[in-house]
Amino acid sequence: MKQAWFIIKKDLMIEFRKKEALMSMLFFGFLVLVILNIATGIGSKVASSVSGGILWLAIIFSAVLGLDRIFAHENENRCIDGLLLSPIEPESIFLAKMAVNLIFMIIAEVILIPLFFILYNNEISGRLPMLIVIVMLLNLGFSSVGTLVSAMSSGIKKNDMMLPILLFPVLIPLIAATVKSTTELLGGAGVAKYSQWLYLTGAFDLIFFGSSYLLFEHVIKEG
Amino acid sequence: MRKLIIISAGLFLAAIYLVFFYAPVESVMGIVQKIFYFHLPLAFTAFFSYLVAFVCGLLYLVKKESKWDIYSAGSVEIGVVLTTLVLITGSLWARPIWNTWWTWDPRLTTSLILWLIYAAYLILRMSIEQESKRATFCAVMAIIGFVDVPIVFMSARLWRSIHPVVVKSNSIAMEPSMKLALLLAMFAFFSLWFALFRIRTSGGFLLEKIKHLENRIMEK
Amino acid sequence: MSETVFLKIDDLKKAYNGFSALKGINLTLHKGDFLTIFGPNGAGKTTLLRIISTLLPPSSGRVKIFEYDLEEHPEEFRKSVAVISHQSLLYNDLTAKENLEFYAALYGIGERAEKIKELLRLVGLYERRNSQVSEFSRGMQQRLSIARALINDPYLILLDEPYSGLDQHAATLLKKQLALLHSQKRTIIMVTHNLALGMREVTKVGILVNGEMPFFRNRNEMDADRFDETYFSYVSGNLQ
Repeated sequence: MKQAWFIIKKDLMIEFRKKEALMSMLFFGFLVLVILNIATGIGSKVASSVSGGILWLAIIFSAVLGLDRIFAHENENRCIDGLLLSPIEPESIFLAKMAVNLIFMIIAEVILIPLFFILYNNEISGRLPMLIVIVMLLNLGFSSVGTLVSAMSSGIKKNDMMLPILLFPVLIPLIAATVKSTTELLGGAGVAKYSQWLYLTGAFDLIFFGSSYLLFEHVIKEG
Repeated sequence: MRKLIIISAGLFLAAIYLVFFYAPVESVMGIVQKIFYFHLPLAFTAFFSYLVAFVCGLLYLVKKESKWDIYSAGSVEIGVVLTTLVLITGSLWARPIWNTWWTWDPRLTTSLILWLIYAAYLILRMSIEQESKRATFCAVMAIIGFVDVPIVFMSARLWRSIHPVVVKSNSIAMEPSMKLALLLAMFAFFSLWFALFRIRTSGGFLLEKIKHLENRIMEK
Repeated sequence: MSETVFLKIDDLKKAYNGFSALKGINLTLHKGDFLTIFGPNGAGKTTLLRIISTLLPPSSGRVKIFEYDLEEHPEEFRKSVAVISHQSLLYNDLTAKENLEFYAALYGIGERAEKIKELLRLVGLYERRNSQVSEFSRGMQQRLSIARALINDPYLILLDEPYSGLDQHAATLLKKQLALLHSQKRTIIMVTHNLALGMREVTKVGILVNGEMPFFRNRNEMDADRFDETYFSYVSGNLQ
């Protein structure tokens, strides 16, 4: 477990030195927000029924860019062999990489979500704690299965598009549930109206954290 | 293998006879309802394919024997074809009955998402050359695709459903003659499934054998 | 020889899809042995090293370090084995010092600062400790990767074509480093197809062709001057 922390520290050190992942995540997320605003009609206030979808589309697309980078450094000079040769357990590598992806996502969200509320004239007063719950539930599910799939896609040199192709179909229920609960929340509904969606997200998180944690060892040893 | 194909053909002829000449025309939906005798078995066998792929995927990861990879890949290929047919027959049926080609009904949506997940599996398969890596990654994908199924279904069901619930847990809401036709169609489709499975996997084993022989010639 | 057996490999086989990369390798090494395995490309040299370093599971056979079996105690292997290959296993965006600090931490090494200083001095990179690896030449990267490999004080050092891509100067330095490691009684296995560089310092020589090792001898029991001919007779014998 302690070794996982060393990997996290190393990855963050590289990222804050190069700022590759975060810069592209933020820029792209912002870009999606702007494009979708234009696509849904400039100036007009976007109905709350679709704005939840817009927010999550921007966040998911930006998060995939970050996810794509989390194994990039391990593949240059075969550093991944260095990790596998060391006494560290594959499970610790999984937890470390998942944590790094979570940190990237949270940083991007802290900037993108306020931008969303500014660009889309939405009100959030008083409902912020619930929004944070929804965001964190999505983040957990996304990073669990995302870390597993990213480990696979980084081992496939032939096809650069493998990450979104493999990841998005699996994520559909998570995205659907998150969009639904956000839409209800932004529309002013009480928790009771969307609690079922939250449970569903929680179930997704549990199942995919468990299975990704267990399957990761097989993937990383083949990468 | 030939026997299995002949049996499937016989079962299909019998099923078609029962469906069109024995079972009565449904009073509300009319002749269109006949599609259901094929739609439901298609859906069952499609789901069965993914179950087989899941189990074989697990077995591959435990045993690392290439036969489990071949089984898993064969059933996903069949599953994707069957799911495509589920979507097409569902659409054909929905057009006159629901007056739309497509509706985001939970079962339809679930089938569509499954189609996406396992089509992605096939793309993954095409993208990796190295055998052990391909087998491992595909096994992992077959497993996470399958554990996603209940969540996909639950999330689709939270939208309001308009899909007719025909097969309930305790009783089947159909006339006896309709039940018989459906049952036979089920048998026909499962026997077809096994025939296809044999054909696909024996192709996989042949490919493996060719690789072995090529390697042995190269060594000489 | 009275020395204890350090590494023992019994009938080691590796097959992928019917292709036999290794067809039953047997070898025994004592502590302080320096074995060079020569062989053409595709002979199974890298496969053998990847199995010994736990990166690849064997199909059958046994590998033991002292009484520890590879498949039962992979952690014992990882603790005592180091790999130096033409891939540096270094992070381009970290400095030399940071790279070593990271690996030292993974191996749970105490008093890291001293150890890292010592290793950087050993490979002559102490002055460049705060430069990023991306600024290093190929030879400097190779030296740093030696320091990286030595961080856990390994008993067994595996070298996979360490000379490839090195210029004359860097190759000379590598030769010196290997001599030093050998003098420290570490066991070394090097695989290469470079006959000239591979014969330095060795105590044992093997030839690996098509997954088999038809030649495995003590250096002092063979005619080193005529090794070229021996090697080519084994390699070309398999090319008919």
